[in-house]
Amino acid sequence: MKYTSKYISSIIVLLFSLTIQAQDQKKDSVVIKTDRYGFRVGVDLFKLSRSFYEKNYKGLELVGDYRLTKRYFIAGEIGNENKTVTDDRLSFTTKGTYFRAGFDYNLYENWLDMENKIYIGMRYGVSTFSQTLNSYTIYNRNDYFNETTSISSGEKFGGLSAQWIEVVVGMNAKVWNNFYVGFSLRANKMMANNKPENFDNLYIPGFHRTYDGDFGVGFNYTVSYFFPIYKTKTTVTVKTKK
Amino acid sequence: MALAWTLTGCEKDDICDAATPTTPRLIVNFYDINNPTALKTVTNLAIVGEGLEDGLLFNGKSTILMPLKTTADLTKYRFILNFGNDDTSLVNEDNLEFRYARSNVFISRACGFKTVFVLDAENPYILTDAAAPDELWIKDITLIQSLILTENEVHLQIYF
Repeated sequence: MKYTSKYISSIIVLLFSLTIQAQDQKKDSVVIKTDRYGFRVGVDLFKLSRSFYEKNYKGLELVGDYRLTKRYFIAGEIGNENKTVTDDRLSFTTKGTYFRAGFDYNLYENWLDMENKIYIGMRYGVSTFSQTLNSYTIYNRNDYFNETTSISSGEKFGGLSAQWIEVVVGMNAKVWNNFYVGFSLRANKMMANNKPENFDNLYIPGFHRTYDGDFGVGFNYTVSYFFPIYKTKTTVTVKTKK
Repeated sequence: MALAWTLTGCEKDDICDAATPTTPRLIVNFYDINNPTALKTVTNLAIVGEGLEDGLLFNGKSTILMPLKTTADLTKYRFILNFGNDDTSLVNEDNLEFRYARSNVFISRACGFKTVFVLDAENPYILTDAAAPDELWIKDITLIQSLILTENEVHLQIYF
């Protein structure tokens, strides 16, 4: 977690530095600044592409946000994951659906008709899933009878769930027309984890892999489309630099 | 950069800690039959699992730890006292068989599962003489704990 926070702070510094841009204007002028409001929907290309190149993974995440005020957005993601993990001592498959909802706060001062978003946000995540124990080996430090073999199981642990809080930093940039690309990084803290009897929630859809700790990290890379609903216009005075 | 950190940031802390209790062994204490409260050390006791050539050797110890089979509900050992002694009249072999039920218990992602045992209520152990009878050197056995869940307690007492 120490590294996570260090990393997030460095990302924030990086993003802030992007907001400082040279402004070189010849004279005072008054311009109309248009703010468009609406909702944006997209897909996480990271999970989508992993589904193609990683044979033990299938995942899809749809993202969306709705611009509520100048700087606040209601934001969320919904996704589905199917992941098989084969470790040294056991193999399991997790299948499930997750939903995250929260808000983003845009830190970026958009210039004129720019519609970029560099944001921090929070989410509350809920995941429901099942886990299947495919196979395992018995850990025996004194394997006198030489019995270390993989045991097939197939036991399914259903009706599992987990809830967590996420802190998000990310950006969204308009690339063409109403198309945007963006990425986000997330630090997750588990709030509730409904574990099965005689097994554990080793992978939680939407939260990622877990070990003993309550912390997780996430990442997405999105392409999205903006559906404008209404506009507001404000006049901005542009001052000449001496 | 972000991607690189995400991938390398997930440390593989998936090595089973040596301090984690895993599959327990059956713990036996040896006592003096003539002075039943006094521990007695064994001299070159070899215990050899059924079907195996190599045994586990204990010398000068009053406590031994015996692995049980994790793939069968029965483990049979030959208990050979004074194993390898030139004076073959001192060598004595008894058979000790343990019957139990097993269950596999999840430990952690790194350690996987362990097997724990519950000794049979009717016949937890069966003591017999060797194939070539040489009288029993084990005079008495007391079961202390039929649940073999950890290596933190003694399960069986043998008097000789």
